[in-house]
Amino acid sequence: MLELLWVLLPVATGAMLLYRFAGLRALAPRWAAALLIAGAGAALGIGLASIIFFLSALCLPGFRFLPMLAEIGLAGWLAFEVYRSRREAPSPVPDEKRFPWTPVLALALATVLVAATMAMTNYWSANPQGNWDAWAIWNLRARFLAAGDLAPRAWSPMLSGSSHPGYPLLVSGFVGRCWSYAGTASVVAPIAAGMILFLALVAMGTGGIAALSGGSLGLLFGLAVASSPFLLHEVPAQYADIPLACYFAGALVLLLLDRPLWAGALASLAAWTKDEGLLFVLALFAVMALTRRKQWKWTLAGVAPAGAVVLLFRLFLTHGSSWLTGSGGSSAGLLMKLRDSGRYLTVAGTVIESLWNMGFGWYHPILPLLVLCVVLRFKRDWRRDVVPAGVLTGLMMLGYFMIYIVTPLDLNWQLSTSLDRLLVQLWPLFLIAVFAGLRAPEAMAVEVPAPEPKRKEAPARRSKR
Amino acid sequence: MKTKAPASSRYQFPVAAQVGTLVAAVFAIWGAFNYYDFETAFQNAGQNRDPYMIRAAAERFAGLRQAIPANAVLGYVTDADPGTLATVIFDTAQYSLAPRLLEDGVHRDLVLGNFTRPGDFQAFGARFGLRLERDFGNGVILYRTERR
Repeated sequence: MLELLWVLLPVATGAMLLYRFAGLRALAPRWAAALLIAGAGAALGIGLASIIFFLSALCLPGFRFLPMLAEIGLAGWLAFEVYRSRREAPSPVPDEKRFPWTPVLALALATVLVAATMAMTNYWSANPQGNWDAWAIWNLRARFLAAGDLAPRAWSPMLSGSSHPGYPLLVSGFVGRCWSYAGTASVVAPIAAGMILFLALVAMGTGGIAALSGGSLGLLFGLAVASSPFLLHEVPAQYADIPLACYFAGALVLLLLDRPLWAGALASLAAWTKDEGLLFVLALFAVMALTRRKQWKWTLAGVAPAGAVVLLFRLFLTHGSSWLTGSGGSSAGLLMKLRDSGRYLTVAGTVIESLWNMGFGWYHPILPLLVLCVVLRFKRDWRRDVVPAGVLTGLMMLGYFMIYIVTPLDLNWQLSTSLDRLLVQLWPLFLIAVFAGLRAPEAMAVEVPAPEPKRKEAPARRSKR
Repeated sequence: MKTKAPASSRYQFPVAAQVGTLVAAVFAIWGAFNYYDFETAFQNAGQNRDPYMIRAAAERFAGLRQAIPANAVLGYVTDADPGTLATVIFDTAQYSLAPRLLEDGVHRDLVLGNFTRPGDFQAFGARFGLRLERDFGNGVILYRTERR
């Protein structure tokens, strides 16, 4: 139970930080702003807590109380700031075009989340330690980080290759932090962390699309994400792919809402989660250069703090040892792989097969999206949001594709063990790119003249004779 | 074609948009229950319950955990042939013993023997210059390197 409290503190801290300083509370509808602040706040707070704990483990190992006090102090100061500024934000203008089915969509989203959570309890009960990578990589390294002055073992080159000591430490750092502060290493912390970041993904996407286009479209986005079986199956596995998908989606949503500083912050936390996050940061800057040049400095400012920690970890602690930044073999071998058309066909074929297999049974998660594309169609100014979101998603897909082409590992093994999880990372980005261009039902409303009030008929005068 | 707006609203919404959003919502609920059915069946199938035997490994190594300090670095030998099984039993041992560190090979004073089947563990260790220090049962052996 104590672990759960330590999980929830950074969630509240992150939400207060965004509530006070990100200017999100003025967004309409009000519930969308609340979801966005809660979701992005949870992601941001978890990332910050992980970094504070990692830095203290690196610089002051054995002083467990210092980062605890720092976190409590930060939360207290933010609570004061929130209290002080509670009346500063302008009230959002209520939208009169209320889609009559919005409450039904909200109820459907709640139903979907409850059903998904109930299914996950089966997973947590059968495999509370998660799947292989969860205990062999992320939670193993969390155990080292939670062990006071033995924390450097989490990135020690002595650690077996299958535990990937070069991988970044957001998930391990956060779980290790909860274990260290609570003084116990139960399965509660990794399970709760995974679940909260999944809910943050849904909340950020729902709130973000609702604020961007319309409340009902936001709820439909939430339904599309939270009902994707292949994505749900990854949540209780306790891998880092759902957290990564959460940071990707959050950064994109905040970019579309013109919050480049916070978009950069979440992007850099993606780089602190998995190597793929580094590619995402590069892709984000490419998108900024193409579509939002005036905002790139703010994005850089957002990336800088966590980005510096990632660089410190990469350059000085692990010396760039990972599959993304490591050696891909000789340049001649690399060139041969790039010229080998068979590798392109193998990757493309496996990608198509995996896309088809995203469905379970007769259901495929593309179905709700297809229906919405047909009935809602795209808005006139779709380019403004779809281009940056589409380019970002496209660059990520291209990057992943090329990494498969040049991978130093056996291609078929690499595809079979990682492609499904890469699709989990990119699926919310793809959905955001499509939903950002769709017309919201609210935008299809047609105003009708209010019926004229009935005139009261004057009683007939009787003629007086 | 437009439907009648609710009494409180001055706006009407196309029927197609209304029906379409509801159909999409129904699809989503179908997807969630589809996942529920899949996950429930998958996790309740015997072979998918703790397939790497993490719980069993925690019990197997409990005695060794008690016997060696948290900052220990142990060598590691096994009778498992190189491959997936060898990787799994190494990783489960490492997870169970963390923050103690395992290093494949016999270059440390203390060496963990992680065995998948019964055998002459003393003779196995002697081949690598290891003396059996303590047998914790269930194929968990602590060796000490003989002074060379």
